[in-house]
Amino acid sequence: MVRVKSRYLLCEINVTDRNSLLLLNDKAIAAAVKEVVARIHGDYGAAMCSLRFSVKYLNTQTGMVFLRFPKMSYKLLWSALPFITSIDTRWKKIPCFLNCLHVGGTIRTCQKFLIRYNTQQLHRMLPNCQNEEEKEKIRKAILSCSIIQGAFEDERDDNEDEP
Amino acid sequence: MNPESKDEPVVYQSVVLKNAAPYQYMKVCLVLEDKSTKVSAVDLKQFIITGLKSLHGEVGAASHFDVLKYDEDTLTAFLRVSTIGLVKLWSSLTLLGFYNKQSCAFRVLQVSPFLLSLTGNSRELELD
Repeated sequence: MVRVKSRYLLCEINVTDRNSLLLLNDKAIAAAVKEVVARIHGDYGAAMCSLRFSVKYLNTQTGMVFLRFPKMSYKLLWSALPFITSIDTRWKKIPCFLNCLHVGGTIRTCQKFLIRYNTQQLHRMLPNCQNEEEKEKIRKAILSCSIIQGAFEDERDDNEDEP
Repeated sequence: MNPESKDEPVVYQSVVLKNAAPYQYMKVCLVLEDKSTKVSAVDLKQFIITGLKSLHGEVGAASHFDVLKYDEDTLTAFLRVSTIGLVKLWSSLTLLGFYNKQSCAFRVLQVSPFLLSLTGNSRELELD
């Protein structure tokens, strides 16, 4: 039995005002992607996008989003993503652009990449701390929200079952 | 040439096009419901571009093609398109169904990578 293959695009949503990220939901992003694909690639692109396209994960705090495309047509759909300039939510239109960070075959590889990427970002930002007190604060904050390794493994196994 | 004469050796040169042909040439005919409708060359190109835009979007509409020759009486046109854009152009021609609210169809008569091939057509050959 051969499984149906997909490509998962890990994208970062860049906005000027970070608070507006909280207004986003997966439906709004899916609608924005579909609309831009229909504009750039016409009816053909819209048809490709209606087939097994979904927003798998959205983190409104960090603005990270996983998009699932069928492997057959992900290059075509990917090429339309830079043309997204705004996302319409129910309340207001958020000007933004998508920055694709990683393309993976499974959600698991994307998650691994995201964890590594976030670690890198943390290492990049830590030297910006002004004094020891601030550093200690951040260290405590990280420790307080870290997940126990066992629980984390379970979560990963759950994600593996995704089609 | 006489193969016996060795004075001037005959030089043969075979030309092989390793890459795919850069252009494809199409001979298409527009069939309209109302035969008396006049379609100018500009209208034809505009019509094809609208078809490309609806099926393949802005990317399709930006792909390059030329109307080399167009006969207004028979509504037959010669199109030149780069090989990459051939499938897009052909598929959008197929799906063009309406011209100014009257049904129409494009008949693709001949497709070839060489323009010269479009001069002869064995299907319309009449033997005496």
